[in-house]
Amino acid sequence: MDALTAALKVAASGLGAQSERLRVVSENLANAQSTGTAPGADPYRRKTISFVAELDRSSGGSLVEVNSIDRDPSPFPVEFQPGNEAADDRGYVKMPNVNVLVEMADMTEANRSYEANLQVIKQARDLISMTIDLMRNQ
Amino acid sequence: MEPVNLFDLASRQADWLAVRQSAVAGNIANANTPGYTANDVEPFEKVLDRATVSLAATQSGHLGFGVSDAAFAVKPQDYDGAIMPSRNTVVLEDELMKAGEVRRSFELNTAIVKAFHSMMMMATKG
Amino acid sequence: MIGGIGAIHLSRPVGTSDGGTGLLSGGAAPAADASASFAEAVSQAASRTVDTLRNAEQVSIQALKGDADTRQVVDAVMSAQQALQAAVAIRDKIVSAYLDVSRMSI
Repeated sequence: MDALTAALKVAASGLGAQSERLRVVSENLANAQSTGTAPGADPYRRKTISFVAELDRSSGGSLVEVNSIDRDPSPFPVEFQPGNEAADDRGYVKMPNVNVLVEMADMTEANRSYEANLQVIKQARDLISMTIDLMRNQ
Repeated sequence: MEPVNLFDLASRQADWLAVRQSAVAGNIANANTPGYTANDVEPFEKVLDRATVSLAATQSGHLGFGVSDAAFAVKPQDYDGAIMPSRNTVVLEDELMKAGEVRRSFELNTAIVKAFHSMMMMATKG
Repeated sequence: MIGGIGAIHLSRPVGTSDGGTGLLSGGAAPAADASASFAEAVSQAASRTVDTLRNAEQVSIQALKGDADTRQVVDAVMSAQQALQAAVAIRDKIVSAYLDVSRMSI
């Protein structure tokens, strides 16, 4: 596989990885207020995603793959909401360990990386096109 | 003597630019991968110098894309920025700059080849 | 392998009798005075073309190696294209004129 096609493959893997990251962020944001249902039950635990670089034998490029989607082990913050169905006997409810601001910042980063990968795809495609154009217009 | 033939040189530079493009693509794709060190291809001048010195087999440990006699070495590039907790050394803006350089050089390369090719054709036409 | 553009041998000035193209060498003797200045003009044009082409090739090779001003490259290559176009047009005219002359009945 020639280098430009390899670049396309690598950038496509980048798009996939960043899409997964955005999916995890949107899950976290959607569940930022999801408490448990029974008294004292655990709420939604924040998800985290990690990437790993994979050397692709056929093309020689460094692809990026999703290594794993884990749970954030940090402790749940507690709020005083006696009326909540998940309130314990003292009226405290465990809330998801999702910080909306952190998630929004992550989302902005993921968008930026996604755009950068998209630009690489466009450029690699254009360079291939330019090469083929050399033959045209005799 | 380095390749003095214009079409030869242009072909070589185009290969080099393609390898650089894929190195940049790898860096951008892995901009958030923990422990990933950004790569870059060796400078083109070095490639030309090397081609004159020897046609020996490439050294082990080089990830080169298969150009028949001398593959281009892709090595981790020097990094003197802040050490991130993730030990990732990719700076996205630098990679996008590099991509821009690749594009400009590639456009010039294909334009030169096209111009000289059409001159060749014009001169040899009956 | 296609050689450099300078390998196209336009360096033989057309019209001189050094065994070049030989197109005008046949008719040069009887009409020497009238055609001498024309042959000179053509040969000068041809050598200018070669210089322009050589320069364009040099500048382009510099650009491919990585250090040349883009505008200079473009200017040099365009000049070369213009010069070559003119030279080819002249060559074609000369060839067709020669063929016309050779077809004339005596």
